[in-house]
Amino acid sequence: MLAPAAGVILLSFFNWNLLSDGRFIGLANFARLFTDGRLLAVYGSTAYMAFAILAVNVTIGLLLAVLLETRMPRWLRGFFRLSFLFPFVVSSSAVALIWRFLLNKDLGLVNFWLGEWFDVGRIDWLGSSFWAPISVIIVSSWKTLGFSILVYIAGLQSIPNEIREAAIVDGTNAWQRFWRITLPLLSPTVFFLIVINTINAFQLFAEPRVLTTGGPGDASRTIVQYIYDTAFGSFDLGYASTIGITLLLVLIVLTAIQFRVSRRWTFYE
Amino acid sequence: MNSTLKRRALPRPSTIVTTVLTFAILAIAAVAIVAPFLWIFRGAISASDAELYELPPSPFPTEATLENFGKVFEQVPYGRFILNSLVVAGSITAAQLITCSTAGYAFARLSFPGRGVAFALVIGSLMIPLQVTIVPLFLVMSKLGLTNTLWALILPGVFSAFGIFLLRQHFLSLPRELEEAARIDGAGHVRTFFQVILPLSGPALATLGILTFTYWWNDLLMPLVMIRDVENQTLPVGLVLLAGRFSTGSLGTIAAGITLAIIPVLVVFIVAQRWIVQSIASSGLKL
Repeated sequence: MLAPAAGVILLSFFNWNLLSDGRFIGLANFARLFTDGRLLAVYGSTAYMAFAILAVNVTIGLLLAVLLETRMPRWLRGFFRLSFLFPFVVSSSAVALIWRFLLNKDLGLVNFWLGEWFDVGRIDWLGSSFWAPISVIIVSSWKTLGFSILVYIAGLQSIPNEIREAAIVDGTNAWQRFWRITLPLLSPTVFFLIVINTINAFQLFAEPRVLTTGGPGDASRTIVQYIYDTAFGSFDLGYASTIGITLLLVLIVLTAIQFRVSRRWTFYE
Repeated sequence: MNSTLKRRALPRPSTIVTTVLTFAILAIAAVAIVAPFLWIFRGAISASDAELYELPPSPFPTEATLENFGKVFEQVPYGRFILNSLVVAGSITAAQLITCSTAGYAFARLSFPGRGVAFALVIGSLMIPLQVTIVPLFLVMSKLGLTNTLWALILPGVFSAFGIFLLRQHFLSLPRELEEAARIDGAGHVRTFFQVILPLSGPALATLGILTFTYWWNDLLMPLVMIRDVENQTLPVGLVLLAGRFSTGSLGTIAAGITLAIIPVLVVFIVAQRWIVQSIASSGLKL
C-alpha cells in the first residue's frame, strides 16, 4: 500500500514520459508548480465545488434527516430513505450521463420546467463558466446526499430518548431542543461528515469529466482530472506525480485543521 | 426497537402546519431524486427518438418496445462490460475479505515485533487516496506488462487500509473471554479465527463487502487509466463509450444502456437494503 506512495514521491523528481524512461531533474517539477497558472485555477474550481458539495451535504442532509425522524408510517419512512440513498449506489458515470441529458440547454427537461414555472430564459448549464461548476455541485450532491442523510439518522438514533424526554418535562419547545440538545449531541456526526465529504469532494473525477469535461476552460476542472490530463493526455508522468503530492498535502492540512478546530465545537459524552 | 413505544408516550409536538410542511419537503426531495431514473427507464422503452425530445414529455411512451436493449449489445460489447465489472468488483471484494480479516485480526489480537509501526503505516496510508498514487500504479502495472488486462484493476484493490482498520475495530469489540475459552479447549489462533471469530463477524464482513463492491463496480478512473481495448473495459467506461457515439446511437439506446446498468444495482439494493443501510450507518460512528 505504501509502495505507490513512495513511488509518487520518487517520480516527482523525474521528467518521465510514456515513450522513454525517466531522467532525474531534481526539483524542477516542484519549481514548475509555482509558475503553473492553470494549477491555481484548477485548485480554485476544485475548492469551490468541494466546499459547496460539503455545505449541501452537511446542511440539507441534516434537514432531511431530522424531517425523516418525525412520526410517519413505517413503509413511508422506508420509501423515503431508500429513494434518497439510491443514487449513492449507482455509478457516477451513469448519474452524470442522465444529468447531461436533463441539463441540456435546448432539449433538457430542467430548462423546460424552469421556463414553464418561473419564466426564466434558457440556462447554459454545461457550457457557461458560471453554471458549469454549479451543475457539477448539484449532480454530485444529488448523488451523495443519501449517504450523509443515513449517517445523520444513525447519529440521531444514538441520542438517548431520556435526554429529550427530560427536556420536554422541563418545558422546552422543539426549536430549543434542536439547538440545545440534538445538535450538540450530534456534533461528532457532523464532524465525521465534514471530514469524509471534504476528502471525497476533493477527489471528484467522474462527474465533471462526464458532465462538462472540466470546461469551459478550467471552470469545472478538478485536481484529479488535471492529474489525469497531465499524465495521460500530455504524457508528463513526473509532473503529474508532483501535482498528486500537492493534493495529498492539501488533504492532510485540511484534515489536520478540521481535527484541531473540532475540539472547540464537538461534544463527546 | 421499543423506541416507538416511548415516542407514543410523548406529547404531540407538531401542529398540522409543520406536519404538512415536513411531508411536502420530503416528497419534493424524493421526487427530485427518483424522477430522473423514471425518465431514463421510460426513454429506454420508447420506440421513437423524436418522442424523447418532446417537451413536456408524456408520462408513457405511445409505443413501447424492447428494441433499444438489443441495440445496446449491437453497438458496444455490453455483455463483456458487465462480465468485466463483475470479475473486477467480485475478485477485489473476495480478496479484501480475506486479507483485511486476517490482517485485522493480527493487529487486534496477536503480538508480534513491529506491530505498532506496521499499524501506524496502515493508518498513515488511510490518508493517501488512490487518485494521488495513480501515476506510479500505472507505471508498475505497465512494467509488469499487466496494463490492458483486468489484473491491473484487481491487484491495486487487494489490500485496503480502510478494511483492515474497520475489521480490527470490530475484532477488538469482541469479548476476549471467548477466545480464552477456545484456547483452553485446545484451539490455536487459526482455529479460533475460523471457528470462533469469523462466525461472529457476519455484519462487519458484510459491511466491508458491500462498501468495497459498490466502490469498484462504479469506479471510472482506474479503467480509464489502465485499459486500452474496448473489450477489456468495465461498465462505467462502457456507458460513456455508448453515449459518446451520439451520432450513430440514439437517445433511446443510451437510455437502455443506462437502464441495464442500473437494474442489477436496483435489485441488489432492494434485496440487501437492510445491510447497506446498516453498513453506512455504522461507518459513520468511527471517529
